[in-house]
Amino acid sequence: MTEKNMARADFFTALVLIIFGVTAAVLAFQMPHVTARGQSPYSAPGLVPFLLGATIALLGLVLLYRSIKRTHLHFGINRESAGRFFREEGTRRMGVTILVCLLYTLALGKLPFPIITFLFVCAFILAFEIDRKAPREKMVRTIVFAVILAVCTSAVITGVFQYVFLVNLP
Amino acid sequence: MFEGIELFGKAIIGFLNFRNIFDALWSTQLGIIIGMLPGLTATMGVALLTTLTFNMSANNAILILICMYVGAIYGGSRSAILLNIPGTPANAATTVDGFPLAKQGLAGRAIGIATTGSFLGSMIGMVAMALFTPLIGSVALKFQSFEFFWFAVFGIVICGNLTAPKDPLKGWIAGFIGLFVAMIGMEGIHAHVRYSFGNTDLSGGIALIPAMVGAFGLAEIITVMRFSTYEVVKAKIDRVIPRLTDITRYWKTIVRSGIVGTIIGAIPGVGEDIAAWVSYDMAKRSAKPEEKEKFGKGSIEGLLAAETGNNACVPGAIIPVLTLAIPGSAPAAVLLGAMLIHGVRPGPLIMVEFPTFIYEVVAMVLLSTVAMFVLGLSLVRSLVKVLTIPRQRLMPIIFVLCVVGSFAIQARLFDVGVMVFFGLLGFFLREMDYPMAPLVLGIILGDILDKNLRRSLVLSNGDLTPFFTRPICLAIFLVTVFIIVSRTRWFTALTGKFRRSPRPAA
Repeated sequence: MTEKNMARADFFTALVLIIFGVTAAVLAFQMPHVTARGQSPYSAPGLVPFLLGATIALLGLVLLYRSIKRTHLHFGINRESAGRFFREEGTRRMGVTILVCLLYTLALGKLPFPIITFLFVCAFILAFEIDRKAPREKMVRTIVFAVILAVCTSAVITGVFQYVFLVNLP
Repeated sequence: MFEGIELFGKAIIGFLNFRNIFDALWSTQLGIIIGMLPGLTATMGVALLTTLTFNMSANNAILILICMYVGAIYGGSRSAILLNIPGTPANAATTVDGFPLAKQGLAGRAIGIATTGSFLGSMIGMVAMALFTPLIGSVALKFQSFEFFWFAVFGIVICGNLTAPKDPLKGWIAGFIGLFVAMIGMEGIHAHVRYSFGNTDLSGGIALIPAMVGAFGLAEIITVMRFSTYEVVKAKIDRVIPRLTDITRYWKTIVRSGIVGTIIGAIPGVGEDIAAWVSYDMAKRSAKPEEKEKFGKGSIEGLLAAETGNNACVPGAIIPVLTLAIPGSAPAAVLLGAMLIHGVRPGPLIMVEFPTFIYEVVAMVLLSTVAMFVLGLSLVRSLVKVLTIPRQRLMPIIFVLCVVGSFAIQARLFDVGVMVFFGLLGFFLREMDYPMAPLVLGIILGDILDKNLRRSLVLSNGDLTPFFTRPICLAIFLVTVFIIVSRTRWFTALTGKFRRSPRPAA
């Protein structure tokens, strides 16, 4: 990440940290003050979370001050720069990875583990290896390879964890 | 002293059976392969193996995890030498001289040097571990809540400082977020449930292993998948067995790097990557002028320093795990979690509750180091083929293992969600230069900080004086303040002014 982008990211992270820290401290303050039960006020469950929330907010403020000094609140975010970011090959690959992994975890527990694992491995490989412009033969070979690897992965992981190591599977 | 040697001897004899040797060999080899593959770290390897060793006895499980740890930290040197990509963050310094050596056609020699350096580093660390763990353990017995509170603060501050050298503020923010994560769930004094918002899963707290698998596993998978391919250097792998002169010539560097690596390992949360860089930097500073010129262009001394330093850090990082229940590195944090799962309670009472365990761990480190040395010098050519596996075929398998690893410990889908959440959080934080080690250390130290601060305040009836008047507390407090102040702009300017001012004539 370039220094300019980093300063920009720091500004928004700092805002999130300040809001997070203040909210955490307020919620901690609302936790029971155990004096009513005859306990020492210093053992209150909200004491440490309050201090941590306040510290996070304070560190966020330092980050905010520093990023304002660097950016002078000129972020230079426009449609063109955002479009450039989304068109980058790396962003596309990152997006596909996150999407496929998220879909897999959301499907866990709804279908048998070996089946969704097979579908996930297959989809992951095909999402990165399939090339529409490639000759038909190559595409078929890629699909066959993905299916074989997915079947093996699903069978080996299920077998090893469930029957050898006696571990529960989702 | 003699009792220690006797316990160590008994532990070694206890481990010398077919089952343990077989376990040590396969887990070290697996560790080397995991370490070799960019995107798979030692932390992830130890975390995933924790799931597999769930039903084993404590000694067998810890032996396998230590072998994985030692093997993975060493294994990363292969990809550092052949790909110019460190297999694990611990091998970043190895690329500086390892890759130029491979490009010069000396890949085999570089691998041999890295293997020997790693072996000697682990041995130095192991000796330090055997000598100092019981000593630190007996000192730690005298610690009270006040000292433990400062240790937790010190751990976060120094870990944030060293793992984010460019911007320690981000290291501290990551550490405090980790401490806050540990506040979620039922607290240990009044059993009050914090920040659960009525969710029963959250009231149990955030488990360490799913969070770590996410922060080091999924985050790494997304990072690796962003880039398409890497190329293996097509260098002929020549003689791997190192020359004796290469070792005897640089014995001072080996001893220095071993000691530095062990000390850095013992600092909470800092880890192998920093140990390797510091050892490398110290070797460069103290090298002879003709050798200094070779640094960065294929220096044997530089490669030895980096690899000795990172592997010496492994036993070093286990020292505070055993004596204070505070991990010296991220993989050591998982090791700590695994020990707790297997019913071993590390901490100041370990010498009382499990008196033989320290020496058993020393024996495990010895076994894993020997296995790493033997395996490291054999199967070199065939293992290089592992590096050619396309990442899009390997990463989905790794993600499935991350899911199974997170789920298996408590059989809850909630933990898979925790893994994904920390994976995404870890990825975005890393993109913005926030280190992961302080975050993980924070999750572990959160409970220690919380209980000990409140306990101390109750003991002193709210009086803050004991926090600053007890000798150990004062020392830790002053060091912590110095670390923070030393990273401020005015301190840097002040020291710069002193450095620039001319020395008075004698």
